[in-house]
Amino acid sequence: MASITDCVVEGLKYPFTNIKKILGIGVLFALVSALSTVIGIKSFDIFRMSIHLVENTNSTVSQIPFSQLPAGNIYLVVGLSVISFIVGLFILGYQYDVVKFSIDRKADLPGFNDIAGLLVRGIKYLIVTVAYYIIPVILWTAGIAFAGDSSVFIIVSLIAGLLFIIAYFLMIMAVNNMVAYGSIKKAFDFREITDNIANLGWGKYIGIVLFTVIVMMIISVAVGIILSFITVAFAAVINNQAVIISIVIAIIEGLFIDSYMTVFFSRVCGSIYRESIK
Amino acid sequence: MILDIYKDALEYSAKDWTKLVILGVVCLFSFLLLPLFLLTGYNYRVINNAVHGVINGRDPLPEFNDLIEMFIDGVKVVIVQIAYLLIPFIIFLIFAVIAGNLSGAASSALMLIGALITFVIFIVAELMIQMGICHMAYNDGAFSKAFAFSEIKEAIDEIGWFECIVTYVGLIIITLVISFVVTAIIGLIFTAFGISGAVLGADPSGIFVLGVLINSAITLFIVGPYLSIFNSRSSGLLYTMQI
Repeated sequence: MASITDCVVEGLKYPFTNIKKILGIGVLFALVSALSTVIGIKSFDIFRMSIHLVENTNSTVSQIPFSQLPAGNIYLVVGLSVISFIVGLFILGYQYDVVKFSIDRKADLPGFNDIAGLLVRGIKYLIVTVAYYIIPVILWTAGIAFAGDSSVFIIVSLIAGLLFIIAYFLMIMAVNNMVAYGSIKKAFDFREITDNIANLGWGKYIGIVLFTVIVMMIISVAVGIILSFITVAFAAVINNQAVIISIVIAIIEGLFIDSYMTVFFSRVCGSIYRESIK
Repeated sequence: MILDIYKDALEYSAKDWTKLVILGVVCLFSFLLLPLFLLTGYNYRVINNAVHGVINGRDPLPEFNDLIEMFIDGVKVVIVQIAYLLIPFIIFLIFAVIAGNLSGAASSALMLIGALITFVIFIVAELMIQMGICHMAYNDGAFSKAFAFSEIKEAIDEIGWFECIVTYVGLIIITLVISFVVTAIIGLIFTAFGISGAVLGADPSGIFVLGVLINSAITLFIVGPYLSIFNSRSSGLLYTMQI
């Protein structure tokens, strides 16, 4: 490869090699985004109800008895959240497979025949993600809880943001390393991870990841523009159905865009690993 | 040497009119953001052809295929431009902040000096952008080569800073003259139509609107793409002028 950006070109083309499988993973994404729209609407209902109760009874939120809240809505939100979490695990497992295929230089997209394995790999992926992000998240939460709105909080969030970025860059290589060896221990083998990055060159590594992120941002903004046109067109045709329109848009986005972007990003991550172990 | 570049570039850009129209259509849809990068990507391909070719060669215009690669090339070019232009912008900002904290004559004097320095750095940055993109294209699109300052400076040294600046000033003048002349000719034709129509008793406002429409269509679909290819080809050829 003449230039490392060729990885990005290859990654952008990759999802088009098998549209059917992309739509397959797109269905999962569509499910998640439709569910999260519903969850958002229902939790807003619950929120509004509790604000109403607080205003009427002059109490605080924690004093409201559970029986006064809309129990049906709460169960619905919890149930849907659990479902979308499980679907999300499948998506993560699929990302794992895409990285695996990329490292193995397979031209095809991974299939869905091994459902249980997909779930297991998704859990592995999730554990690595959580492990890498836990320090900045804890720091940031502690900042909110203890420092409140003082200037200390700003410093703490800056440090947390910095740690978050470092964790993000390390995590990509960590996931690659885990996938390459098929063992979760390898995700925390920092020596090997930093060795791999150093092998490629830190500047080159950060550059290619940033470049990929910029490309993704450009595509999302462009898609956002097109989707907003579609939304306006829908809204002009259908009256007074904002919820339905937003769910339809969420499904379109999940089915085509989110699936494409995720597969693209995972493919590029795998290619970066392949370049780094040369 | 400079005139040869212009001659070659003027002929080159006129080789295939259909591609100009395609470029114009892409430009029309550039409000969707992605086509904007296709435009820069296409110009990058023109530069790529030029730096790998020879002057007065028989290179055809680049094809409109492999849109994804074209898009990525466009993103690279835009990133290079933004990265270079950040330098004069930041310098201007620093001067503006310092001048804002002063008062009276010192403030305006500092602002003037700041604007002058920014202008000079802006010119240098533009030169480096053009040469950097050519250098990147020459090295098979390796991103780091667009920021290999010493190599780019060497390339400019070999061509000659004066020649480079003269070529670019010439490009700006040619671009302005061509677009002005085309607009003026169309304007004259439609003025003649309008006057003769008015003499014959027709309403000239319709002719005026038609003239404006045709003028913008020709600018968008023919003249604009032509000039952008012309500029890219020239700066690519200028890069090949190093000994």
